[in-house]
Amino acid sequence: MGKIKVATQWLEACAGCHMSFLDIDERIVEFFKHVELTSSPITDLKHPPEEGVDVGILTGGIGNEDELHEAQEMRERAKLLIAMGDCAVFGGICTMRNFFPTAEVLRRGYIETESTVDGQIPQHEDLAPLTDKVSGVGDVVPVDIYLPGCPPTADAIWYVLTELLEGRMPKLEGKVLKYGMDGG
Amino acid sequence: MSEIHLKINGQEVTAQSGQTVLEAAKGAGVEIPVLCHHPALSNWGACRMCVVEVEGMRTLQTACTLPAADGMVIKTHTEQTFNIRKFVLELLFSERNHYCMYCQMSGDCELQAQAYNHGLDHWTYPRPYEKQEVDATRKYFIMDHNRCILCTRCVRACTEIAANHTLGLRNRGAETMISADLNVPFGESSCVECGTCLQVCPTGALIDARSAYGGREKDVTHTQTTCMQCSVGCDLDVVTRYKRLLRVDGVWDSEPSGGLLCVDGRFAPLYETRKRVVKPLVRKDGKLTEASWEEALGLVANALKGSTCQGLAACATTNEALAAFAGLMTQLGGQAGRLEPVAPTLGYGVPAKVADVLDADFIIVAGAQPLDYQRVVGYFIHRAADQGATVAVISDSENALSKRAALTVASAQAGIVAKAAADARKIVLVYSVGLKPEVIAALKPLGDKVSFLALDPARNGKGAEAVGLKPQSPVKTDVAYILLGEQPVADALHVPAGFKVVQAAYHSTLTEQADVVLPTPLWYERTGHVTTLDGVIKPLQAVLPAPADVRDESVVLEQLAALLR
Repeated sequence: MGKIKVATQWLEACAGCHMSFLDIDERIVEFFKHVELTSSPITDLKHPPEEGVDVGILTGGIGNEDELHEAQEMRERAKLLIAMGDCAVFGGICTMRNFFPTAEVLRRGYIETESTVDGQIPQHEDLAPLTDKVSGVGDVVPVDIYLPGCPPTADAIWYVLTELLEGRMPKLEGKVLKYGMDGG
Repeated sequence: MSEIHLKINGQEVTAQSGQTVLEAAKGAGVEIPVLCHHPALSNWGACRMCVVEVEGMRTLQTACTLPAADGMVIKTHTEQTFNIRKFVLELLFSERNHYCMYCQMSGDCELQAQAYNHGLDHWTYPRPYEKQEVDATRKYFIMDHNRCILCTRCVRACTEIAANHTLGLRNRGAETMISADLNVPFGESSCVECGTCLQVCPTGALIDARSAYGGREKDVTHTQTTCMQCSVGCDLDVVTRYKRLLRVDGVWDSEPSGGLLCVDGRFAPLYETRKRVVKPLVRKDGKLTEASWEEALGLVANALKGSTCQGLAACATTNEALAAFAGLMTQLGGQAGRLEPVAPTLGYGVPAKVADVLDADFIIVAGAQPLDYQRVVGYFIHRAADQGATVAVISDSENALSKRAALTVASAQAGIVAKAAADARKIVLVYSVGLKPEVIAALKPLGDKVSFLALDPARNGKGAEAVGLKPQSPVKTDVAYILLGEQPVADALHVPAGFKVVQAAYHSTLTEQADVVLPTPLWYERTGHVTTLDGVIKPLQAVLPAPADVRDESVVLEQLAALLR
């Protein structure tokens, strides 16, 4: 049997979920005996291959049109999609801006912050417009596995991946189901 | 009460009639998940977490409100109940801001715990993202409506325990909000900051300004002690982490207050701003200077030898210290008394306990302001009034209890109250130092029908009484020995003695005049006992260690006694 193909991508996120994945430490050696990481934000290739992967992992919420596109691309190319971390599960801390109109958020962020001098709101055709509200991945594409946590612990991530490698659908409960870190 | 038999999850269970299904299940060791239920409060049935299947009933029933009945067959944990509970949680999580990662309650939150127990890895309903208010207008705790699940525990605590009726609900359905009075900011409301709502809140909606983010339940230490802020003597559960005082909670099912505290016991002592005395001080060249205990006690002993002496105690310390104080004064042949006045004696009636207020049907308040001091007694009077007791206030000035009183009269009209109370089943007279002789005379016809609660204005007045300390004014002696502890002093207090020794926890106008100042521990550094208004001798536990150069009064007084022997 060939290796299982996994692709990851981060959307509106702090990268903490990918850091937490790296916290599986030496288990990563065992992991790569069974898995081929086709693409990820921390390797050269950024997009999942067109021929598809077995498992797609998305971290971060959907906050702009590029992220929406990335989520759709991953969904199309992955047999099984994992929303990893609170932002991917329900928008997480990024949803703080949902209480304000987008224009106000941009004005506050780029012009009105106390440390800003002569600020301007960046505008370029390469810059993706913000969505009206930040949402979780599940609000824009169907998700197969939700792995909450800010970030999910390395053990929770390891549990989900190893269950999948064993051919089982992971069921999050007990120690591996946490919304925050360290006891929260 | 009679015994009933029911079946819970196939197990034969014996319960008492009058119990709810939740209580019957708990008695049989079956834990049904709850959110809006709290053992100290009435049952509400709002959250639907406790739904159970009952044979013969068409729909699921809330176990917290369903009376257990003979022959009932109940299933508490089925696929259906699990799914419904999870559904309820999904609705709650989708409604407001229940994002745990930046909430101070994360790890200790009942909503979060239930979500974990039910494997809630996401929810399906979209969030409306409506911005709710955060009300930080009160000094000690904050209300974040974004975290509120409308369980109404706070409303019930305010109504049933504090009997203050500040909190309520306004609007209906998804618009429902917890409200203070007629929707005013909490800081401008009738809230008395007893903090009972804070203690029962299951989520992070009510935030203690001091202890928030200070440590989760797994990180903190709980120490039980007795409140020393007044003579009621409520049990305290003091929460600390490392050497930091985080929070004070009430202790459910404890005497006399049953978990109810007041702002003086729960919050105010944690915000003390007076400057602490941490080392013995002696006057040198007109200035108070730090000294060793040996030097300070040597000076005091020298001053006391062969001198006339008056000892004056603020009864703000332990029974042990008061006894040692009285003992030393006897040894020296000096006079000893207390600084605080005492409530007069009636010459009739029988002594009452604080809890007697709760089942009185006629309460007379005279010469006392229990809503301002010894507040738990005031809240108990409110609670009794809610249950239908008649409250009569006899006062020649404004009294906050008048608002809820059936009648308020001046001292000269006290006879009206005596007449009104004549047919009552149980009369409790709550009074203090302000009770006037004409009122005592006017109420005399009630005689031994009166149970009286004499509110001692001192924190440990009963302890002082036990060692024979009676009120005294400062007189001219060679030496004045003043046992002050944490008690604030009136600026008007003039001590004419030639040499003044003050044993105190804080700097004050009195320590400024002193020749020697000896540092004392604070309430949470003490061991020993106090005697409460009910005459119960309650223990004090040292919650945190006192600073290195602070010694308990009883130890110091014994050392002095030894030096003078």
